[in-house]
Amino acid sequence: MKKIRINANFINNNRSYMFLALILIIGLFMDKFYTAFNIAAVTGNGSLIMWLGLGFTVCLIAGHFDLSIMYMSTFGALLCLGLHNDQKLPWIVCILAATLLGCLVGFVNGILTTKFKINSFIVTLGMQFILRGGMYLYCNGEELSIGKDYSFNEMLNAKVGPLPFSLYFVITTLAVFFVMVVLRYTRFGRNIHMVGGNLETAWLAGVKSDLVTTGAFMISSASCALGGALNGVYSGAASVTMGEKGISPLMMAITATIIGGTSLSGGKGSVIWTWVSLVAISFLKSVFKKTEMQVLVISIILILCIFYETLAKYRRDKVVGTRPNLHKEYLKETGKVQ
Amino acid sequence: MMKKFLAVLLCGTMLAGTLCLAGCGGSDDKSDESAKTEDAGDEGSAEGGSNLEESKALLEEAIATLKTTDNQDMMAAGNPADVPEAVGTPEELEALEDTDVDKWHYMEYLDWDESEDAEFPASPADGQKGKHVILIVHGAHAWTTCYSEAFEAACEAVGMTCDVYDPNWDQSTQDGYVDQAINEQPDAIVLIPVSADHAAQQFKKINDAGIPAFCSNTLPEASAMNQIMAYTGPNDWAQMRKLASTLGEAIDGKGGVCYITHNVGTSPYYARTFGPMSTLASEYPDIKHLDVQSPGFEATAVKQVVSDWITKYGDELNAIVLADDSDQAIGAVEACKAAGRDDIVIVAAGISKQGAELIQSGDIKMASYQSCQADAGLAVRTVAEYFCGEKIARVSYLATDVIDADNVEEFLPCQW
Repeated sequence: MKKIRINANFINNNRSYMFLALILIIGLFMDKFYTAFNIAAVTGNGSLIMWLGLGFTVCLIAGHFDLSIMYMSTFGALLCLGLHNDQKLPWIVCILAATLLGCLVGFVNGILTTKFKINSFIVTLGMQFILRGGMYLYCNGEELSIGKDYSFNEMLNAKVGPLPFSLYFVITTLAVFFVMVVLRYTRFGRNIHMVGGNLETAWLAGVKSDLVTTGAFMISSASCALGGALNGVYSGAASVTMGEKGISPLMMAITATIIGGTSLSGGKGSVIWTWVSLVAISFLKSVFKKTEMQVLVISIILILCIFYETLAKYRRDKVVGTRPNLHKEYLKETGKVQ
Repeated sequence: MMKKFLAVLLCGTMLAGTLCLAGCGGSDDKSDESAKTEDAGDEGSAEGGSNLEESKALLEEAIATLKTTDNQDMMAAGNPADVPEAVGTPEELEALEDTDVDKWHYMEYLDWDESEDAEFPASPADGQKGKHVILIVHGAHAWTTCYSEAFEAACEAVGMTCDVYDPNWDQSTQDGYVDQAINEQPDAIVLIPVSADHAAQQFKKINDAGIPAFCSNTLPEASAMNQIMAYTGPNDWAQMRKLASTLGEAIDGKGGVCYITHNVGTSPYYARTFGPMSTLASEYPDIKHLDVQSPGFEATAVKQVVSDWITKYGDELNAIVLADDSDQAIGAVEACKAAGRDDIVIVAAGISKQGAELIQSGDIKMASYQSCQADAGLAVRTVAEYFCGEKIARVSYLATDVIDADNVEEFLPCQW
């Protein structure tokens, strides 16, 4: 039988699964951790950051940062609740309107990044302030709620069949798997990986990199707006300051993306890894009831991930070092001077 | 390939285990609750009598002996709420100007429709001794620490145990804690909502799970009362109106006023901004309302805002109303001192140690008195009375006062 070596690479490649397994094992020792209510509540409450993680990961695979995701989701929630309360539009129309707004914002982010050659970090940083200002203008800083219209809210909170999961979480999970299929099995998805991995190679291969990058931004913003709109109905209210206190959902999404193993330089990653990490983080909140402990544990895991990545890189470099010919080739390719 | 297979197998096993265990332990919440109530009923017939007597004795003793640090009664009875007739429907009043007292009727008076009340869990009437309560506060602050400690002390004195969850001012985190608290199946949940508008949804969730829900300190929106067993806390609107009347008198009914708010969306945001604003507008029509800002609770941010006001409005600015007499007051006082504007009258909602010191030094003119420890004591008393099967008031307010340099000594040492 083939010998399995638990080395740095193995841990590095499967860290999101291990993180989830670790939390679930700790849960065995917790009182009332494995109850249908707790699982439905934890996964339901964690669904918003799963949408943010989805958007952030797609952009990161394409080699760009999207820092506007948190405010995009908040705007989606406010727009959805506002249209339903003020214009009395049906929920489905309100959710579609929020998603369309997300597409538009993603399109602007994409155009500014690709055509005007502005760094995506700056573009999306600016966009989050524009969105914040827009939200204040839209609702005068007030909180919007579903009022007494609980029908759709109760539907999203209801468990799906015998599963201990809310409908909101199931929709979120289906969306993540849908994007995973798009990224893995369609030309557009593979092009996102190629553009993120090496823009020049992608261009030489005939990939319309600007179109692909803009598409990635549009998926990111649209998914966040859609997730935010659903979250607004699921939780019953939304306010401009949502996520500004406590642990920021944006930071959570970034952390989960890194823990999941998506490369910060683009080209490598999976929305499933991020999703698994976010499920683990959601359960971690249930294990550690104090916010300070949650932050501490997540930070330690993040540091361990970076440590393992560094260790794996060191091992790779060491292998290159023991093969002089390969090492010379590596130096030639990278332009490094010995 | 083998490694990946092992990793997926491990994760799959854990998820399958999760679902199996959830299936075993995750019976319907309401049936759990009804089973629990039946058990309590059976026990109640056997031991409830003695527990009830012991509980009542403990409660009486706690009411008589527990004192706040400024030597007031910690578990004094609350005051009932007098609700005047509304002059219109919520939609009609919403259209009024912010400076109109009537606009805020449904926020100020918890004027809810009792016919729409949800079905509340019946009291076990076997006494509070041995009961477990979960307190979910709004966020980390010196006031919250003082409140939580007083709550724990009062619970201990009446024979209850309690856990405190702190969501650090984050709405979604508080939602998560509400779910966690329901999952723990305590005997009661006391919640200080982060947001007035969102409270209805949170209390509905708790009430639907068959757990008695109590609201403390911050006023929820009126319709939330349909899901709340009882509200206890300060009458923020009344005390801020009283403070505003005194302020109007202090500046001779003329000049310009600016407002620093509490966190946007919370009930103190409305009470401490629009309470004084509408009172000043109705009692002193010559007073101008210059600006409203929400810089938060950091002294530096408040100092910046007040400095900008002094630059922008100059002599037009005569008074500042603050939602907090600690860090906000320090920032505002520093800005006025730096600009050499000792003439600006500062009033604040209080009362903290910093606030009392600033009143003594004359840097702020006056503050409202809101006892943090008595707030916690009143909540615990109401919960205990519910467990004892006594009729509890749906709304109970704390006593209020205005503190200035003349009477500040009576309220020292401050509670937080």
